Amino acid sequence: MAKPVTQPPGRSSQSPNETPLVELKNIWKVFAGVPVLKGINLNLMPGEIHALLGGNGSGKSTTMKILSGLYVPERGEIFLGGEQKVFHSPNEAHKNGIYMVPQEPHIFPHLSVEENLLLGLDMDPRAARAQVKQLAKEIGFESSFSEEAGALSIANQQLLEIIRGLLRKAQILILDEPTSALTFREVENLFKRMRTLSQRGIGIFFISHRLNEVMTISHRISVLREGRIVLAEPTTEVNSEKLVRAMLPADAEMRDMKRKVRDPRDQITDEVVLAVKKLSSDAFQDVSFEVRAGEVVGLAGLVGAGRTEVAEAVVGLDPNARGDVIIKGKDTKKHDSRKSQSLGLVYVPEDRHAHGIFLELPSLYTMTATILDRLGRFLLSRKQEEAVGNDYRQQLSIKMSSLHQIAKTLSGGNQQKVVLAKALASKPDVIILDEPTRGVDASARQDVYHLIEQLAGQGVGILLISSELEEIVDLSDRILVMYQGRIIKETERAGASLQQVMAAAFGLQGEASL
Amino acid sequence: MSRIWRSRELLVFLLLIALLLAVGLINPNFWRTRSLMHILNSSLILILVSIGEMFVILTRGIDVSVGAILGLSAVILGVALNAGVALPLAVLLALIVSVLAGMVNAVGVTFLRVPPIIMTLGTLGVYRGLMLIITGGSWIETIPTNIKFFANWHVLGVRFFIWVTLVIVILTTFLLRRFKKARYLYAVGDNEEGARLMDIPVKKTLFAAYTLAGLFAGIAAIIFVAQIGFVPMQAGNGQELRAIAADVLGGVNLAGGVGTPLSALVGAIFLTAVDSALVFLKVPGYWNNAVGGAILLAAVYLDYRVRMAVAAQQRQARAAVRKENNHLNPSTSEEQT
Repeated sequence: MAKPVTQPPGRSSQSPNETPLVELKNIWKVFAGVPVLKGINLNLMPGEIHALLGGNGSGKSTTMKILSGLYVPERGEIFLGGEQKVFHSPNEAHKNGIYMVPQEPHIFPHLSVEENLLLGLDMDPRAARAQVKQLAKEIGFESSFSEEAGALSIANQQLLEIIRGLLRKAQILILDEPTSALTFREVENLFKRMRTLSQRGIGIFFISHRLNEVMTISHRISVLREGRIVLAEPTTEVNSEKLVRAMLPADAEMRDMKRKVRDPRDQITDEVVLAVKKLSSDAFQDVSFEVRAGEVVGLAGLVGAGRTEVAEAVVGLDPNARGDVIIKGKDTKKHDSRKSQSLGLVYVPEDRHAHGIFLELPSLYTMTATILDRLGRFLLSRKQEEAVGNDYRQQLSIKMSSLHQIAKTLSGGNQQKVVLAKALASKPDVIILDEPTRGVDASARQDVYHLIEQLAGQGVGILLISSELEEIVDLSDRILVMYQGRIIKETERAGASLQQVMAAAFGLQGEASL
Repeated sequence: MSRIWRSRELLVFLLLIALLLAVGLINPNFWRTRSLMHILNSSLILILVSIGEMFVILTRGIDVSVGAILGLSAVILGVALNAGVALPLAVLLALIVSVLAGMVNAVGVTFLRVPPIIMTLGTLGVYRGLMLIITGGSWIETIPTNIKFFANWHVLGVRFFIWVTLVIVILTTFLLRRFKKARYLYAVGDNEEGARLMDIPVKKTLFAAYTLAGLFAGIAAIIFVAQIGFVPMQAGNGQELRAIAADVLGGVNLAGGVGTPLSALVGAIFLTAVDSALVFLKVPGYWNNAVGGAILLAAVYLDYRVRMAVAAQQRQARAAVRKENNHLNPSTSEEQT
């Protein structure tokens, strides 16, 4: 599966000997010793809309960042109209006709639309203005030029970016998830404009997580997985099942088979420790689920599906959340994070550096941060504090020279264990783990998995949020899948396959055929 | 260009009128043209320092050394004049020193990547120290009268330095609007990452901002020496905080990207008018600092609240988009299979 795929021509109208606008050959990229791109081969024909698909961390963004000059590859070549190039900055990519429209448009909110467009442009202002008018007309950009750009809708900010690219004579546009913040109608308009551009011979790389959009607009689809292109075919030749299957790990079926043999955990009781009812906020709607004592509930979904936002709302960190969160039968009406903690709910956030750990302090200070009031009557009892620390150090096999080792000098895995120790120290009944193995080495990862099993065995209810589907499917008794702010699938352990979960994460529901 | 900060300057201007009216009602002497001109004349130094500071704040930076640069340039000018250097040459020397002092900040912030507040706090100490080292700690008095002449020279019935400042305000306003590269100052402060992607020379722009802040403090130093006629060691002390206050009051956004020389002008005159008003209201002089500080607090708080409100508005607009999306398009997937 991992061998490079030769790419068939994209559009039906294309003549066979047309040279590609750009061609990436055997691109390798390594971050901190870990290869994230392992020989990417990709090209773009004039007028082609080429969709890139892939799960989180599959390498599509990295590939596009290399193409737009933000990263330099370790190995591999980029050919532009047959000529070999290396881009060291976005500036160089712009000069070569490559323009990337990022997910969040890079506008200057306090400058006017016109100023935004003309800024940094090496052109006679009068000629530039005329060209801006012409382009705006062609592309159907209708806002006033004197308006502040910050007041534009996201859709119009994207158009502004596209016009900016065209002003720089871009022949290759990269649209990074342009539809994620657009309304249905705005998406339709965007597609109309993309077709116009395509007719003008401009090539477009289109990144999206929405399979139906990809099927509607693209001429060709390339699927990335673990830094490799695993499928590249004309859109007419594929269907969504095929795409989802391509995104799955190679051994997915085998793993699914193995898992089905395993029995559900017997320690799960009927006691509901966490019940969430019709929770809604800005980033998600109508989320309901339950976690029972001793149960691991997996919350799967793509980045941006709203999982972390749900977790934060459940804990009480989102003042705009509406709905009920019931912890061990007690309603947390006021959505207060301190209150939910005293009721026995702990949240271990995704970004441990920002939210979970005192990096510059002895590790012990993090471990005991939430239970200081229990350690000693009036003054802090060092003895008791260290006893708690040693306890967890042993239980979680945290590798540290002493309890007082400064937290930032620990490895990622051990830092995560320190954060977990803090969570456990308060003896919670429910734990929400948000991406607990991100940036954690393989052995510490196993320790974390082991700990999750152990906690469930002790009757703790666990909500596990993870972008790694294998992790979710292997550990969970029940799986919830979120897509665009909603839970679109709920399945028991026995019925869960990687394929189904992946399909749901990409918005395909009830695919019996898979 | 932008309605928001135009109206902000107008608002402060109206407040200023209201202040003048109120004080004038209590003490009619305040209304005589001479005292209005007096307020303008005594706000010249602050106006210039505030415009310089504004360049830096536009880029989302801060420069707390401008007061010290003013003091240092004033000392250089005083020492040079006392040593018999010709007036034009001494003025030039003072300006060069102020530009160099600004450049030191610029190098620290752009090339050494020291955070602006740290860098300029450091140079604040260094420049004040240099003043003491050069003078041995004693005030520079007996400054030749040729420079003091300019402070009282009236052209067309208005003081020469008022004309000078007015020309500078008009010139910088014009340049900031029409000079292509001036737009970079706004862009860098508004969205530094975006500016970089837009091929805007971010470092050069930052460098220019800190250098200009130094230059404007230097120009202020010349007026300072001419008006006061001697150089005390406290020259320029606290001027940086008043300049920041004046800018913020006039509508310069501390988060960068928003502001005009008009903001600095109106803010500086307002702060000076408050000082004068306190005199006319027979409030003892030692209240000035407290009142000035309170006004600064109110201005910064207001600035913060306005920004929060704008951010909340944008967040809500985005949430509304998402909701609409979900209504129109409840699940993008269903038509798929």
